[in-house]
Amino acid sequence: MNQTMDEEWVENARMIVDSARAIVPADNSLERVRKVRFEGPGYDRTVMTQAGELGLFLMRVSEQAGGLGLGTRETCELARVLGGGLLPEPVLPAIAAGALLQENLPEAAMSGAQVITCAWQDEINSLGWDGGVTDGKLSGRKVAVQGAAGADLFAVVTGQGVAVLPREAVTVESADRLDGGLLSAVRFNAIEAKLFPCPGAQAVLEDASLAHAAYLLGLSERALEITLDYLRVRKQFDKPIGSFQALQHRATEMKTGLELSRAAIFATARRFDSGADALTRARGAARCKLRATELAMLISREAVQMHGAMGITDEADIGLFVRKAMAEANLFGAPRTLRALLARMLDVEDAA
Amino acid sequence: MTQLPDFNAMSDTDFRRLARDFVETNYPDIPRFSLSRLHWDEVKPWYLVLSQHGWICPTWPRDRGGMGLTAGKHLIMIEEFERFGAARVNDIGPVMLGPLLLKYGTQAQKAHFLPKILSGEHVWAQGYSEPGAGSDLAAVRCEAVLDGDEWVINGQKTWCTLGMDANWIFILVRTDKNVKKQAGISFLLVPMDRPGVTTRNILNLEREAEFCEVFFDDVRVPADHIVGEINQGWTAAKALLGHERVFIGSPRLSAAAITRLKRIAMRAGVWEDPVFRDRYVALQCDVADLSDLFETYVDKLRGGETIGADVAMLKIFQSELFQRISELMLEVAGEDAGLTAPPENDRQLHAAATYLSARPTTIFGGSTEIMRNMLAKAILDLPS
Repeated sequence: MNQTMDEEWVENARMIVDSARAIVPADNSLERVRKVRFEGPGYDRTVMTQAGELGLFLMRVSEQAGGLGLGTRETCELARVLGGGLLPEPVLPAIAAGALLQENLPEAAMSGAQVITCAWQDEINSLGWDGGVTDGKLSGRKVAVQGAAGADLFAVVTGQGVAVLPREAVTVESADRLDGGLLSAVRFNAIEAKLFPCPGAQAVLEDASLAHAAYLLGLSERALEITLDYLRVRKQFDKPIGSFQALQHRATEMKTGLELSRAAIFATARRFDSGADALTRARGAARCKLRATELAMLISREAVQMHGAMGITDEADIGLFVRKAMAEANLFGAPRTLRALLARMLDVEDAA
Repeated sequence: MTQLPDFNAMSDTDFRRLARDFVETNYPDIPRFSLSRLHWDEVKPWYLVLSQHGWICPTWPRDRGGMGLTAGKHLIMIEEFERFGAARVNDIGPVMLGPLLLKYGTQAQKAHFLPKILSGEHVWAQGYSEPGAGSDLAAVRCEAVLDGDEWVINGQKTWCTLGMDANWIFILVRTDKNVKKQAGISFLLVPMDRPGVTTRNILNLEREAEFCEVFFDDVRVPADHIVGEINQGWTAAKALLGHERVFIGSPRLSAAAITRLKRIAMRAGVWEDPVFRDRYVALQCDVADLSDLFETYVDKLRGGETIGADVAMLKIFQSELFQRISELMLEVAGEDAGLTAPPENDRQLHAAATYLSARPTTIFGGSTEIMRNMLAKAILDLPS
C-alpha cells in the first residue's frame, strides 16, 4: 500500500462527503428525519433523486462501465456521514445495486429518477442469498429489503445471477419499524427476467455489510457527541454531571468502542480495496459488523441513561438514535448470527 | 565503540531480515516464550550480547551508543524479537532512565551513566511508588535533605520491578514539604550498595519475587546525583518519553494468549463446543480489532506524528482483553483451574498462570481507572 493510493482515497472520500452534505445537513439537524418517519415508505424519494444527481449510485460502478470506480473506503466514509445524519433513504442499498449490476444498472436508477434497492437475503437470521430462482424463473422471497416500500426497482440477488425486477413484478409485505421506516419482504413468483451473471455477489454483499457497519459507526459517533455535550452542560448538585467519575468512566468505554470500530472498519476496507482472500473478507465483514452492532446498541443505550428522563421522551433527538439502532443494528446479521458464522470459519481455518 | 550502520536507511524488509537473523544467530541458551520475567542471572547473557553488538538501546541516538531507530524500525525489531520469543531484559536503564538523562541530565551525568547502561555494568530499578503513593504518585514522602554536598535520604519505595537485580535505583523524593505536593519533588540517582539501603522481596500472586521494597535509612549520595533542578523532579518523571508507551497497548499479549486458549480448549475437549466457540470468536474479534487500532498508532509513528493522550485507550482495552481471555481459560480448565502445577509440565497450558499474570496489566503503568479519569478530561473534554 503506497502513500499516493492512501492520499487518493482520502481526497476522493472528502469530495464524496462534501457532495453528500446536500442530503445530510452539515448542522446535524434532524428535523427532516423526524418529519418523514411513520409516513408512507418512511423516507423521501426526492432525496434519492438528489443522491442520484450527485452520482452516489455510480460509486461502485467501474469506470469501464461508466461509473466512478471508487473503493470500499470511500463508500464507508460516505456511509459514516449518512449514519451520523440518520439518513432514512436507501442510498447504501442503491450503491450496492450499482456494484452488482455494473453496466446493467438501469439509467433511471443511476440518475435516481427511479429508486432501486437490493433484495438479497433469503431468510431472517441467516446471511444466505442464493435462493430465488426455480426452473430458470424468479420465484421466491427475499427478506429485510431496505427501502422496499418506496422502491421502483429491485436488484434481486440469486445463486444464478442478479435480476432487475420492477415494482409490478413483486409483492411487498411491510411491517412498521421503531424508527418510522418499514421492514419489508418482497415476494415474486415465476417471473421471467434476465439474470446477469454476478460472480462477485458475495464480495459486493460483504462490501455492503461493511458500509452498513460504517453507517452504524456514524450513528454511534453522533450519539456520543450529543451525549457528551449534554454531560458538559446539564447540572445537578451544582455541578455538570460530566464531572462525575461514574459517568466519565462509562463515557471512555463508549469512546474506546468507537475508536476500535472505526479502526476495524477502515483497516478492513483497505484490505478489501487491495484484494483480500475470501476468508479474510468474510471474517473482516462479520467482525466489523459485530463490533458496530454492539457499539450502536451500547452507545444509544448509554446515551438514554445519561440523558436521564429527557432520554426517554420522543421529543429528545437522542431517542431517534436508539430507535434507528434497534431497527437497523441487526441488518446484515445480528451478533449471534455473526458469531455463529465466525465459529464456522474456525473449521475453514483449521482445514487450511 | 563501533559505529553502527544507519539502520533507518535500510528498507523495512531488509531491516526485518536483519533483525530476524540477529536474534536467531545471537540468542543465548536461555528460556524463550517465558510467561514471567527472567531475573538478571538468567537474562544477563542476552543483555550482554545485545550490548556487544550495540543493540541494547534501540531508540538512543547513534552518537550515544544507540541504534537511533525510528519508531517504525523499532517496531519491526520488537516484532521480530517477539516472534522468536526472546526474553525481555532488565530494560529500565535503556527504556526509562536513558531517555530521561538524555533530556534532563547534565553532560557529566550523560558521560558517566549512559555508557554503564550500555555495557550492563549498571542495572537500574525504578523507585516511584510508595506504600502511601500509588496512583496518587505525587504524594511521595520518602525524603531527601541536603547536608553539605550530600543528600541524606530516608523513607521507602515499593513495587520496584526486578529491583532485587539492580545495583542502581532512581527515586522520586520529597525535597520541599511546604509547597503544592507536585512542586516539592526531586529526582535522585542512588547506588543500591550504599550503607542504609535494604531491600525486601515481595512475592506476587504467582508466588514469584518479581518486585521488591527498598528502604532508605540515612542513605548518603553526592549532591550531583540529582537529575534536573531541585524540586523539578515531577516534571521529569511525568514527561512521557519516547514512543514506547504505544507498545504497552500492543496486541501481542492478547494474541499469544488466545493461541494458548485454543490449545487449552482442545486439550479440555471443548474446542468444538458451540457455547465455547461463541465466546472464543468474540474474543478473537476483539484481538483483531485491537490490532487494527494499534496499527493506526503505528502508522502515525511511521509518518513522524506524535502520539497523544488518546493512546491510553489502547492500554485499557488491551489489558482488559488479556484478562477476559484468561478468564475463559480458567473456565475451560474446569476443576483443574486451581492447581499450582502446569498440565503436562507446560506453562503455556496453565490457565492459572495466564490468569494471574494478566492481573497486574490493569494496575501498573497507570491503572485503568486513572487512565479513564485522564481520558475523560483530555480526550472527551469532560469537566472536573
